[in-house]
Amino acid sequence: MTDASDGGDENNEASEATEAKLGIAGVGAYAPRRYVTSEAVEEAWGQFAGSGVQQTSVPAGDEDTLTMAAEAARLALDAAEVDAERVARLAVGTTTPPTEEPGMPARLVSMLGLDAATTTRQVGGSATGGVSALSGSLDAEGADDAELADDDTGEEAVLVVASDDVRGDPDSAVDQAGGAGAAAVVLTPDGPGRVLGVAEHTESYPGTRFRRAGERESEELGITAYERQAYRETVAGAVESLGAAVGDDDADSWIAGVDAAAIGAPDGSLPYRASDALGVGSEAIRPGSVVHDLGDCGTATPLLGLARALDTGSESVLVVGYGAGSEATALMLEADESVPVTRRTAGTDEVSYAEYLRLRGEITPGEPAGGGAYVSVPSWRRTLPQRHRLVAGECPDCGALAFPPEGACRDCHELVEYESVRLARRGAVETATTIGQGGAPPEFVEQQARGGSYVSAVVAFGVADAEAGGGDADRSVSVPMQVVECDETPAVGTEVRTTIRRIYEQEGVIRYGLKAVPAEAERDE
Amino acid sequence: MSNVYVVGAGQTAFGAFPDESYRSLFADAYREALDSVAGDLPPDAIDEAVVGTLGVGGRQLGLSAPAVTEHVGLHGVPASRVENACAAGGFAVRQGVQAIESGMADVVLAGGVEVMTDASADTTKYWLGVSGETEWERLTGTTFSGVYAQMARAYLDQYDATTEDLARVAVKNHANGAQNPKAHLDFACSLADATDAPPVADPLNLYHCCPTSDGAAVVLLAGGDVVGEYTDDRVRVAGVGAGSDRVGLADRDSYTSISASREAGQQAYEMAGIGSDDLDFAEVHDCFAIAELLAYEDLGFCDPGDANRLLREGLTDRDGDLPVNTSGGLKSKGHPIGATGTGQIVEAFDQLTGQAGSRQLDDPTCGLTHNVGGSGGGAVVHVLEREAGR
Repeated sequence: MTDASDGGDENNEASEATEAKLGIAGVGAYAPRRYVTSEAVEEAWGQFAGSGVQQTSVPAGDEDTLTMAAEAARLALDAAEVDAERVARLAVGTTTPPTEEPGMPARLVSMLGLDAATTTRQVGGSATGGVSALSGSLDAEGADDAELADDDTGEEAVLVVASDDVRGDPDSAVDQAGGAGAAAVVLTPDGPGRVLGVAEHTESYPGTRFRRAGERESEELGITAYERQAYRETVAGAVESLGAAVGDDDADSWIAGVDAAAIGAPDGSLPYRASDALGVGSEAIRPGSVVHDLGDCGTATPLLGLARALDTGSESVLVVGYGAGSEATALMLEADESVPVTRRTAGTDEVSYAEYLRLRGEITPGEPAGGGAYVSVPSWRRTLPQRHRLVAGECPDCGALAFPPEGACRDCHELVEYESVRLARRGAVETATTIGQGGAPPEFVEQQARGGSYVSAVVAFGVADAEAGGGDADRSVSVPMQVVECDETPAVGTEVRTTIRRIYEQEGVIRYGLKAVPAEAERDE
Repeated sequence: MSNVYVVGAGQTAFGAFPDESYRSLFADAYREALDSVAGDLPPDAIDEAVVGTLGVGGRQLGLSAPAVTEHVGLHGVPASRVENACAAGGFAVRQGVQAIESGMADVVLAGGVEVMTDASADTTKYWLGVSGETEWERLTGTTFSGVYAQMARAYLDQYDATTEDLARVAVKNHANGAQNPKAHLDFACSLADATDAPPVADPLNLYHCCPTSDGAAVVLLAGGDVVGEYTDDRVRVAGVGAGSDRVGLADRDSYTSISASREAGQQAYEMAGIGSDDLDFAEVHDCFAIAELLAYEDLGFCDPGDANRLLREGLTDRDGDLPVNTSGGLKSKGHPIGATGTGQIVEAFDQLTGQAGSRQLDDPTCGLTHNVGGSGGGAVVHVLEREAGR
């Protein structure tokens, strides 16, 4: 393990001579399983503008950057074997949050079960936000006054998440190269992945890529040479400064030893075009590159690349975030021990271009007018512990489980005050049906228009510790829940795990909650 | 406790009636009910009116009971609305029986009305959703057909039953409905029709589901002290039972039994002093085909898991040992929510008084009606017996 303080030169141009006390303890990566190929786009448009991109990931109709962030964060926490309660700080990077306001952190805290006192921040406005959220979280300096100072445990952790779903006008390179995905990094004082240094660099290149206020889609002027120059100068500038930060001004000597370079870029060819300026060869760019398979995932691209590089055996990784405009953040990582990584990024379900447009909501009708069964936002909020974390109740009189934990006990019928118990994240389908096309109630018409038929089920969950201790089939409670990512109605007994998805949007407020994914649909990478 | 009798019963045809309002439908049923009374029942003899209804065309309506009773000239009569989702009409009758048994009324109008076909399909689905568990079940994107489909899925998984058994419900009830001039879907269908229909919510298809209908049905109840003034052909409400359960399916002990029906059935049998063997016919709540199978078991017609045998052997056909849904049931006759439960009493009254036309059973003396709210959150059962005339 190398500590940057050993050789830091306080006078160089690096923005920080990082005294990183925190190391990477685990990485999670998530991308939607659906993808559209460049051939399908070319068939629709007569050409494909996503240079170096073979396919792009496409979120399901009920996925967005927040649900992907929650999934990646959960994977990272599990990989690092860090309990959510240990997280003292949360940083989120995204350029495409599901809502301009409010931010994502408060909802992530609830979905993941982090402590309400967790320090949070959201970094937006630039695709370098994922790497800068990470670089800004490395410093354990805040330990003196923040929650990290708790000497009793010495186990505090920091969670960094980057998630994006890049969109443009459908005939533009931005859209055709645009993908979706999220990556998360858990930092702990003893995390095996050590960051040797961090550096930033800016050059002002307006017009390379921008999104107008209030717009969902990004644009670029398409001045190719200008954009390439902006990219090369900015990224190379950050990497050059990084040399000073890692204590070696001779770029050739330190960068030559890099196993992999995970470099953010709006397409798949720019990192290679910049390789000369960076001093890294294409053999190092390839293991840290995800844009060929997932598309441009904005802030998440470099961290998804980091996950890939570590997962495929790289021990030293250069990570560079690039934001059009232009700014870059670079950091150098060394992983003497293997950093645990869990990736769920493989594309498994190819969709047609028409399905792609449907899934993205480009050609769907929205919610029809109507009235009736209405769940107010305050009453929704009251049940967030259940909807986000499956918090059930246990009857203090007879021990029966209750979900939601309210009302009289189902077994002994006493009107009791329940003890809180967490349910396991895995359960089994008790019964299910598929709501066919045209059969959805109005709140779910948009979901069905985007994603087609969906499964409504009842799933039985045991209590969380019972699962760890081998399971206790008698102590389970039934929860109505959608099952996603399955082609047909799941059979009774099908094993599932929970995941956060959008339930629906009403009055402009997105309601998020747990859905289930069949365990057999799990992806290995 | 005084005896309570059905002295008159009438209903509109069930169906889609763009020219009719909820009030005009109610008036037609009311007129037919008055006409059906053997003697003369002057409107000013009615002491109380209870009207079952969920709403009108996807809208709720305050004071909907006085709105229909004043329309037919029942000025000043205490009138109230009862709503227990699809069991609204059945509970209206039960409340009428209670009013007479309590001594507060001698003659009660128990009615039901619903206008469902003047709203868009989307609005109707939105509106019907209020009868389910809204915060959890509904928010899995499910509908009533979805919840019953889940019950069907659990049932088919647990027992030796098939989707063809579900289709047999449709075949039988359509055969009966084809003999009922008041039926919404008054055509017969084949087993192939009912098996190969388009899917709605797996494993239920279109023929496993009842239609949404407009309609009204009115029942006139009279106490033992006064019944002689109106008729000699006495149809007694021999048993009344009702029950409730968790509104959401996931909260229940069983997905293959409706405990509210069991409770309601037991109460009604006990009060009537009979068992299911004594029944000559039954009108059961078959909003979805699986509901009829569950009703057989919950009402004691057979053991759990044995309902398919009754269907396969034709025991519940019109010429079987225990004819079920001679009216066509909700499946064929139609399901105008508030009017369904009162409409079942109309069919029982017609059968017991020999007025059931081409679907008339051979001299029945005892029948049962079974009306379920939502997916089983509430249920009400009545046993009706013909007393020998004087």
